[in-house]
Amino acid sequence: MLEDAFKAITATSVRKVYDTVSGQVEAVAEASFEIARGEFVAILGPSGCGKSTLMLMIAGLELPTAGAITVEGATVSQPQTDAGMMFQDPTLLPWRNVLENVLFPVDMRGAVGSDARARAERLLQMVDLWTFRDKRPRELSGGMRQRVALARALINDPRILLMDEPFSALDAITRDEMGLALARIWDTEPKTAIFITHSIREAIFLSDRILVMGRRPSTIVEDLRVPFKRPRDPSVEAEPEFNDLYLYLKNSIHRTTPSVQ
Amino acid sequence: MTTTEMTQASLPNARIGLAWRIDGETVRRNARLILLPTLTAAAVIGLWEALVWIYQIPNALLPAPSAVALRVVDTLPFLAAHAVPTTLETIAGFLISLVLGIGLAVLICASRLAREALYPNVVFFQLIPKIALAPLFIVWLGIGSESRVTFSVFISFFPVVVATLTGLTAVDRDLLRLCRAVGATGSKIYLKVRFPTAVPYIFSGLKIAITFAMIGVIVGEFITAQSGLGYLILFAASQAEMSLIFASIALLCVIGLALYGLVVLAEIITLKRYGS
Repeated sequence: MLEDAFKAITATSVRKVYDTVSGQVEAVAEASFEIARGEFVAILGPSGCGKSTLMLMIAGLELPTAGAITVEGATVSQPQTDAGMMFQDPTLLPWRNVLENVLFPVDMRGAVGSDARARAERLLQMVDLWTFRDKRPRELSGGMRQRVALARALINDPRILLMDEPFSALDAITRDEMGLALARIWDTEPKTAIFITHSIREAIFLSDRILVMGRRPSTIVEDLRVPFKRPRDPSVEAEPEFNDLYLYLKNSIHRTTPSVQ
Repeated sequence: MTTTEMTQASLPNARIGLAWRIDGETVRRNARLILLPTLTAAAVIGLWEALVWIYQIPNALLPAPSAVALRVVDTLPFLAAHAVPTTLETIAGFLISLVLGIGLAVLICASRLAREALYPNVVFFQLIPKIALAPLFIVWLGIGSESRVTFSVFISFFPVVVATLTGLTAVDRDLLRLCRAVGATGSKIYLKVRFPTAVPYIFSGLKIAITFAMIGVIVGEFITAQSGLGYLILFAASQAEMSLIFASIALLCVIGLALYGLVVLAEIITLKRYGS
């Protein structure tokens, strides 16, 4: 148990049931956890295990059917305006250039001031896209677009960063590059981060802690600490501990996922 | 602009430079795209002309294209006078459809109650053969411009509603979540996300609406009018003035094409800003 002062996010017996035309669907059966301030937590699990629903509830975009979520001590009951978000698709506005896309959250909240512009410049330099600031999304590669989305997620300097499989639509090589870029940025701007993925390697490389979610019922079945020091570089993947952890997680996911009949 | 200035202006943007570059391949492809349909149309008109001469078809049955052209030239001021009300009423019908169609689409998109109460009825309304209702408009609104413009709106606003609604709801779900997560107000989401996304869809609806608006006005003129090209066609038919009918139709084609061209022009200008 963490001291209250260090808790960034808590979930207490959270359950989520969706009403659909074909009946009720249980997206999350039971989830309880505490995330410390500044912790990078990966949520790992097979598709359809309710990972995304959990993230939407933390963001306040969906409300739990039962249980409660708190962020920085306050119960979440409406959309969090203090969370940066990334999705599987970059969801950039095609008619805005890179800089305007990064400034989009500021623009949607009010007027874009010189502070925001300065921060946008700093973030774009951090993701190596400052020279591309005048380009429109269609002129960029998939990895570059996702880097714009990362800069956009950080523009309001949110206390928490929520990422829902942000690299899963990218090719393997770009994906590794993005992982490195995210790790580097997180080292300079540490934030409480939740990173949803179904890539075990990505989860180990990026996070301080890994929660594994199972499917049917979707509950948290593992809660592990990642032993590697930061800053990390790709050489950690060669360490025996990395491989042990990888195999352990792989087995754990396999066990909790009913095989496809 | 001198050549040097033009080169300099296009230097920073390679894309503009590409558009300026004209090579043999582009010329050939464009020539094909323009020449082929033009030649086909010319061949059909030529065949028509030839058939009229060969079979000595009387003017009262089918005038030759040359006779129609001659008639257009001879009666141009007269035709133009009749073209004015038709054109103005078409534009009025189109503009009202634009405002009404987009407004209704926003209402249906924004309010669940409006969507559930209105949308099925709007679609059902669409199944009515609307031309059959044209006489009602005359009864209700009289024989002036009002009834023709109203009828024109009646048949041209539906494509605008459907296209706009499709565009407004084509916004990515995660992007809308992001908007809510940054605390954006509904009106800002419409102004900065939904409308810009809908722009290409809206124009596809407007291109249909402009043609429908003209059809609406002409049907109205068929039923009751003292002027307008629709009226002229009906009047000429009663006098068996075939070349006048064809002259009026030719002018309608030109006006229809010009109005459509204006919508396309507006589309090109808008998409420069809001296209991808």
